[in-house]
Amino acid sequence: MQLVIQSAISGLLIGGMYGLIALGLALAFGVLKVLNVAHGELVMLGGYVTFFLVAVVGLDPFLSMPLVFVATFGVGVLLYLVLFRFVVRFDIDTRIKNSLLISFGLVLILQALAVTFFTADERAIITDYSTAALTFESIRVPFIRLAGLLVAVALSVGLQQLLDRTTFGHAIKATSEDWALASLAGIDIRRVYLVAFAISAGLAGVAGTLIALGFSVSPSIGLGWTLKALIVVVLAGLGSIRGLIVAGMLLGLAEGLASVWLGGAYREIVALGAFLLVLLVRPQGLFGRRE
Amino acid sequence: MLEVRDLEVAYGDLQVVWGVSFDVPERSIVAVIGPNGAGKTTTLRAIMSLLPVRGGTVSFRGKPISGLLTHQIVEQGLVMIPEERATFAGMTVGQNLELGAYAKRARPHRDETMDEVLAIFPRLAERRKQLAGTLSGGERQMLAIGKALMARPELLILDEPSLGLAPVVVEATFETIRSIRERGVSVLMVEQHVEMTLEVVDHAYILETGRVVGDGSSDELRHDRRILDAYLSM
Repeated sequence: MQLVIQSAISGLLIGGMYGLIALGLALAFGVLKVLNVAHGELVMLGGYVTFFLVAVVGLDPFLSMPLVFVATFGVGVLLYLVLFRFVVRFDIDTRIKNSLLISFGLVLILQALAVTFFTADERAIITDYSTAALTFESIRVPFIRLAGLLVAVALSVGLQQLLDRTTFGHAIKATSEDWALASLAGIDIRRVYLVAFAISAGLAGVAGTLIALGFSVSPSIGLGWTLKALIVVVLAGLGSIRGLIVAGMLLGLAEGLASVWLGGAYREIVALGAFLLVLLVRPQGLFGRRE
Repeated sequence: MLEVRDLEVAYGDLQVVWGVSFDVPERSIVAVIGPNGAGKTTTLRAIMSLLPVRGGTVSFRGKPISGLLTHQIVEQGLVMIPEERATFAGMTVGQNLELGAYAKRARPHRDETMDEVLAIFPRLAERRKQLAGTLSGGERQMLAIGKALMARPELLILDEPSLGLAPVVVEATFETIRSIRERGVSVLMVEQHVEMTLEVVDHAYILETGRVVGDGSSDELRHDRRILDAYLSM
């Protein structure tokens, strides 16, 4: 029983990371209609930026998060101006196809660059509180991963507030609903695209910090996280920001329980099975609106 | 006020607008009428830079606007209501109206314009918190017009305002268009409801297969045999 509870908790905590990574992926997809499969590489990049801020500058990893956000936000600006700016000129179907091609290329480039500059070694950030945990009986809730979940929830609430409460947030929502109608309302949609993509990259960077802390970083971690985030986006359905973190945690929970009851090998199968099941039964996602 | 000269527009290799020219004078209502597929919507979308212009010029108050981006054209005072889907369905009536005043020219006056618009359409005030997607066709039309007025247009462009609406609503819409002109706003509209349109407009251009084949004041056109045969035979 304890093993089940422990796996469930670990699953929920890792699921928060799935949700956070999905948040950025869904933002870029929802607003720009581009599918950025290199989103996980931005997570990886954020992980390395954190690693160096901690190892070289000596910053506390949690305090490094704003800096990591700014750094990866900047990378997002650069990638938008150099690559995705050209993709969003096309109609929406073409955008998805072209963005897949471009971002797969980006995956290869960013991975190769990471191997060159950071070596292929797996790295993790060790702090004084790395092993700290809340314990109930023999069940452990690692402090770092719990904090990671809280950060994920806070960021999703923050993003929701930005979209709901600010004029620029409304402009982002309007552009995501209908870019032509948004531009007719006087919205500079290029700026909306730029900022939304950069926020998406910044969120990936912060997720990278949490993953470097609670898990580990190597140049090849990206695609695995991207895949999980994609599943979460489909599970949650588009248009539901709060739903993303919840869907991420549900996926993590399902994986955790599957690995106890069925064995570790079934983790991925359960994830993909849940993905197919939702697509079959509720194609608009668990929390999405039906169009 | 608006001058369109030799406008050419194409979708890839398929050219649909061939050398179209027309004028919208200050404080007037001008219509472009013609059958389906004549290139009416394409012409409007090209004026607003939603489609690339292949040739010709569009100028507003003497300044060329053809190279500008859509939101920059809106800043000049040209505001367009597209046909169908002219409101943000996932947002409330209030948010839609606020977004209408997003342009820099309109934002500082947002609250006073909002009062004016809600005075014209009291129904929108009642529905302020409701999602635009849940409105009736007539209410959505009011919202589309109200949202456009929020941008404080000098020239309002309407693409088939009567499309898909009940006759009563169409009549109310045309009445609103008249009252908009009385506020000093010029109107350019595209329509297929020729008979009703000619009652509202000062001047109309007839567009067929991407070319202007005739134009005249509404009185002239109402007695033009070609118009009678082609459009008013019902």
